[in-house]
Amino acid sequence: MSAAETALPRSVLLRVFLRSLFLQASWNPQGMQNLGLAYAVFPALERLYAAGPAREEAVRRHLVFFNTHPYVAAAIVGGVVFHEERIARGEEAPDRVVAFKAALMGPLAALGDGFFWLSLKPAAGAVGAALVPLLGLWAVPAFLVLYNLVHVLLRVRLYWLGLTLGDRLVEAVARANLPARGARLRTVAAVCAGGLAAWLAVSFGANAGGAHAPLLAAGCLALGVASYVLVSRRVPNYVVLYLAALLACVAGAFL
Amino acid sequence: MSVVWVQVALAGVWGGLVAVERKAFLQAMMSRPLVASSVMGLLLNDVPSGLAVGLLLELFFLGTANLGAALPENDTLAATATSAAAATMTAASGAGSTPAIWSLAVLLFIGMGRVGRRADRLLEGYTARLARVALASAEAGNLTRAMRQNLWGMWPHFALYGVLTALCALAGFFVEPVLQRLPHLLVRGLAWAWPAMASVAAAIAAQGSHARRAPLYAALGAAAVTVAIVLSLLLERP
Repeated sequence: MSAAETALPRSVLLRVFLRSLFLQASWNPQGMQNLGLAYAVFPALERLYAAGPAREEAVRRHLVFFNTHPYVAAAIVGGVVFHEERIARGEEAPDRVVAFKAALMGPLAALGDGFFWLSLKPAAGAVGAALVPLLGLWAVPAFLVLYNLVHVLLRVRLYWLGLTLGDRLVEAVARANLPARGARLRTVAAVCAGGLAAWLAVSFGANAGGAHAPLLAAGCLALGVASYVLVSRRVPNYVVLYLAALLACVAGAFL
Repeated sequence: MSVVWVQVALAGVWGGLVAVERKAFLQAMMSRPLVASSVMGLLLNDVPSGLAVGLLLELFFLGTANLGAALPENDTLAATATSAAAATMTAASGAGSTPAIWSLAVLLFIGMGRVGRRADRLLEGYTARLARVALASAEAGNLTRAMRQNLWGMWPHFALYGVLTALCALAGFFVEPVLQRLPHLLVRGLAWAWPAMASVAAAIAAQGSHARRAPLYAALGAAAVTVAIVLSLLLERP
């Protein structure tokens, strides 16, 4: 390429998005997602800067420390392309893209962790698990569709917001009101987990108890409640699990 | 006892693939215990074991999250290792899968989550080296080599977790004869341990849901399900 191009074709934008799915391929303790970010935006940099010092400098800008939530990183990847286009046209100083990343990666990481890792994932997981008694193996695709419908749509949308709005993507993300939606999802997770505990206890009583069915079901439910209390008091999960297994083994052997 | 090597190899390949998906690529939740275990069961021709183990481990690890640089337990390795071992135990028994097999597999292999966390930490040393190579290559103007380093970070996940899962699948063939020799009463106890552990896992899931009033909502969910079951039982009575 003899002269740098500034209008990126859709094929390059698509390549950048697809490569952003490898953001954590070489997650490392020093730079964290730095290699992944540079790898993702490289096709755009190749188009925007002629081979030589300008392109090398652009790549080095993105090999510095970078860490955020892997899904919402799509917004920053889009924003980086937005800024790099302007830098290549001479409309912005290179410092702008560095400042953009530094300013957004922390808040977006907190937002992504809160919504995806601590809300959507537990909610979809609990709903998926609760569907197992009803759907059997079909609960697995149901879980994947439920989760990825939100995940993929938001990831694509965030990338597009970054590409088109640059720094103004913050306002658009704020309008999505993810923290409030996350709180509702966490409630769904708790309800499903409680419902599943009851189903496990009652079906266990019915299958193994014979005349003692109500007693066994009640015992199993009581075990769940006691486990909740123990885990809340920071007794390790493994200890509670093995204790319950031991109790059940003794009960099963002698009742 | 005869080892079915195809099952061991399949377990290793699936264990390696979901390990890559867990952190290095996409993260579309193929690596969640419910999915990883169920597909493992499907591949090893033992869907009931895969589903049962997946259900329990999904609930047990529901609240874990990879936040910042903190490393949670490797729920994916725990799931693939446990479900692979349960499936090969079933295959070795020559009969169908049972709750006693699921319980024994969970009790023996759930700790692989902790092994996986240590392995994750070890792999960070390798990726740190890749990062240094990438920086040096970029400084030297070799950008293609610098970018390629990112993809080199994936193969150790596939290889290491694939081997660990395959080893657990292999171990299943050797554990099954031990289960056969256990007293009948203890096997019955192990069968009872599965619903007990699943109830505990559901309680841990409710606690790990991070909901503000989790006990209240979990109790409401439990009450609704109990009432529904009791009503359906009453309606079924002649």
